[in-house]
Amino acid sequence: MTENTEEGVVVTRNVWKIFGNRADEAMEAVRRDNLSKADVLEEFGAVVGVKDVSISVGEGEIFCIMGLSGSGKSTLVRHINRLIEPTGGEILINGANVGQLNAEELRAMRADKIGMVFQNMALLPHRTVRDNVALSLELRNVDAYTRAQVADRVIELVSLQGYGDRLPSELSGGMQQRVGLARAMAADPDILLMDEPFSALDPLIRRVLQDEFLELSKSMNKTTLFITHDLDEAIRMGSRIAIMKDGEIVQVGTPEDIVTNPADAYVADFVAGISKLKLLYAHTVMEPLAAYEARKGPVAQAEAPVAEPDDDLDKLIALSVNQDHPVLIKDDGNVVGVVSKDAILHGVQGEA
Amino acid sequence: MTDTTPDQIGGAPAAATDETKPFADFADKSGGYFAQTFLSIQKAKLPSTHINWLAAIAGFPWAAIRANKMLFWIGFLIDLVAAVYLMQVWKFSRAAEQAVIDGKDFLVVRYEDWTMSSLWAAVIIFVLGRVLFGWLADRIYFRQYNVWRVDHSKPSGWDMKRLIWAAVIVAMIAPLMLYRASQFPPEERTCIKQARSIAAGEEVAFKDQFDCMIIGEFPTIVWLERRDTVTYPRDDDGNRFVRREAPRDGLPPVNLNSYTAQLIDDGIGYLTAFYGFFFDGITTFLRSMLSAITAVFVGTPWIIAMGAIMAISYTMAGARITIFVAASLVYLALFGFWQTAMDTMSLVVAASIICVVFGLPLGIWVGKSTRGQAIITPILDIMQTIPSFVYLLPAVAFFSIGKPPGILATVIFAMPPMVRLTALGIKHVPENTKEAALAFGANPRQLLTKVELPQALPSIMAGVNQVVMMALSMVVVAALIGAGGMGFIVTEALANTRTGAGILAGIGIALLAMMIDRVVQKANTVKH
Ligand SMILES: Nc1ncnc2c1ncn2[C@@H]1O[C@H](COP(=O)(O)OP(=O)(O)O)[C@@H](O)[C@H]1O
Ligand SMILES: [Mg+2]
Repeated sequence: MTENTEEGVVVTRNVWKIFGNRADEAMEAVRRDNLSKADVLEEFGAVVGVKDVSISVGEGEIFCIMGLSGSGKSTLVRHINRLIEPTGGEILINGANVGQLNAEELRAMRADKIGMVFQNMALLPHRTVRDNVALSLELRNVDAYTRAQVADRVIELVSLQGYGDRLPSELSGGMQQRVGLARAMAADPDILLMDEPFSALDPLIRRVLQDEFLELSKSMNKTTLFITHDLDEAIRMGSRIAIMKDGEIVQVGTPEDIVTNPADAYVADFVAGISKLKLLYAHTVMEPLAAYEARKGPVAQAEAPVAEPDDDLDKLIALSVNQDHPVLIKDDGNVVGVVSKDAILHGVQGEA
Repeated sequence: MTDTTPDQIGGAPAAATDETKPFADFADKSGGYFAQTFLSIQKAKLPSTHINWLAAIAGFPWAAIRANKMLFWIGFLIDLVAAVYLMQVWKFSRAAEQAVIDGKDFLVVRYEDWTMSSLWAAVIIFVLGRVLFGWLADRIYFRQYNVWRVDHSKPSGWDMKRLIWAAVIVAMIAPLMLYRASQFPPEERTCIKQARSIAAGEEVAFKDQFDCMIIGEFPTIVWLERRDTVTYPRDDDGNRFVRREAPRDGLPPVNLNSYTAQLIDDGIGYLTAFYGFFFDGITTFLRSMLSAITAVFVGTPWIIAMGAIMAISYTMAGARITIFVAASLVYLALFGFWQTAMDTMSLVVAASIICVVFGLPLGIWVGKSTRGQAIITPILDIMQTIPSFVYLLPAVAFFSIGKPPGILATVIFAMPPMVRLTALGIKHVPENTKEAALAFGANPRQLLTKVELPQALPSIMAGVNQVVMMALSMVVVAALIGAGGMGFIVTEALANTRTGAGILAGIGIALLAMMIDRVVQKANTVKH
């Protein structure tokens, strides 16, 4: 987690945010005495929003931040474009300290480099879809002709062609969120901040938008911070996931890391309800051939189904049904392990 | 035998069953009666003629013993009012006797009349009041039970000791009230004379002193030496200077009111004498603005003006309202109000423009800054509680009479809704749209013009509508200080009791108001 701190496109170093009049005092006290969120509220009347968070997001990565509501996800991500000033710590974007920008530089950075999508869309109700999408360009005084050109292109990108002249109130929730996405992408920013963009949508639409976004982001190579309170979504979208609790990051890792090695009971609780079929791979659940044969006797290698180390549980199940042999795992033709039906069942339960 | 037996033998027919036991516990004495009554109240079966006759006869002491404050005050008030009328009977009959001795026959008749009507009032109030009290008693007492049910520390039951409190309260209020009713209050002049004689060391009867202090007007406590008379004449070079003259010797001191009034007059006199250029500048500005607007309204031949007004109304508010507008215009024209109405319109438009020009930025400030809100809101609150014609005073004091001070008073009167509704609109712009604009790099000016003002627009337009309506009503009042227009016809009609003319002009004003209101409102709803 710390090894590439200096290289990430977006880096936060020991960022703290405490809301309240006695924030600085409270921060000292928390550092010294390791107070809990409830203690701080009682003693200082202050709310710990973000507690000593250091993350680094690499170029082109979709970095998910996951946590229950109130765990500080929105607060953390609003530090990145400095909608919120940190109580302590610093934020670097491409190595530049965001806290040291003056008002003009900050506005330029927000307009050019960072796009943001909000859970509640936050579209301007009095403007057409096109004018909403072109907002960042308009704020930078781009001329009307160019604005319309760019906006129409982005509107097409999110499959809303033909709706440019409608008002947001005439669109469904899913379509409004697409407008939000288009607005964030209109200025072609390097970084996208997405604060629970799909949480307010119904599951079907959410699926569709998730897939569309994955497609888009693959082709456009944007660095994305994606907030969600839904681990399923985090796993679908994220190349890495950070799990937050009470303002702190309790674990960072790839979806598989998180699912196979939850750092504590809090994470384990989240993971418990998750389908492991696409998250566990043969190399995690297999055992050496010798160990298996020692317990069960020799394996009929000619009849047993064969899979590769990178095949997921889903595939292993498909192979092992309707026959009695365990699945052989071969890498470049060499047997590297074997997966019994018991191992598959344990895997489904999440006990690799 | 069973648990209920002792109760049944105990005599009280409705002795506490489980259902009614809390009632009886609460009421203590006469528990059976209240158990019955409260039960029927709960079942909504209490006859509408139900009266607690014991309470009706005993009056407020009953309420005191039962510790019901509300009933106590109701009962006490009934008895007190009856007693006050009785005292008046005594007062007037004595005055009648005195009049007989003085031989003033017409006074005898009058006082005897008053004696009789006071007597009747006393009897009727006492009897009907006590019946009402008896009717209310159980119903209000039942509420006390409901309170007690939730919180047993609240008073309940029957306790004679509570009569002591009642007696204290009665002793504090009743004697003075009754004494006041039995006496003719002394005249203010008598009391002033009395104060002087006391100051001069003369003996004054205690009763007269008491009457002046307690039962007349609130006694004048503060006496102040007269202030110097201040004038601001010009010296030989034409520059003004302050001249003070001490009051003549031997003049009596003045009360707080006269003293302060003179202080204010002196202040205003000073400002107008030495900063006259400022007020003259404003007057000139207002006058030229008004004449530009008047040139449009009054200077345009009526046929063109009418057509223009109807065209505007049609594009802004549609055909139906335009028919109404046309009818109103025909009324104004037929009854000879055309020029006057256009005069009034010019005043309204001038005042409204000023209100919007100053009210909008002020409203934005109030909406965006807590300091602005803390400063302006109380001022607006006060401005809206002051009756409209009071605004005429400062306008006249600084700007003399005529149309400019009329506009000024109108502006002050009509400005608050503009400020308030603008601020309201700005404040209600959703946080998240502002945040979004900031996240895309908006600067404060862009935030205001592209996000806040557009979303506050409906509220702002409602403010404009109110400004126009209030301006119209104030312009009419401003006729009192010579602003002219339709209001002038009304005030003149009032002064000369020419009711018919006044009513016709009043209808004209109402039509004007409705015209403006319909068109502006419709225009708002069409747009949004
Ligand atoms: N402006 C604020 N003032 C005070 N407390 C705040 C403010 N914004 C957020 N908080 C608090 O900070 C914590 C984290 O909030 P948030 O970042 O919105 O959580 P999430 O987005 O994970 O639901 C919460 O306890 C919230 O009450
Ligand atoms: Mg949030």
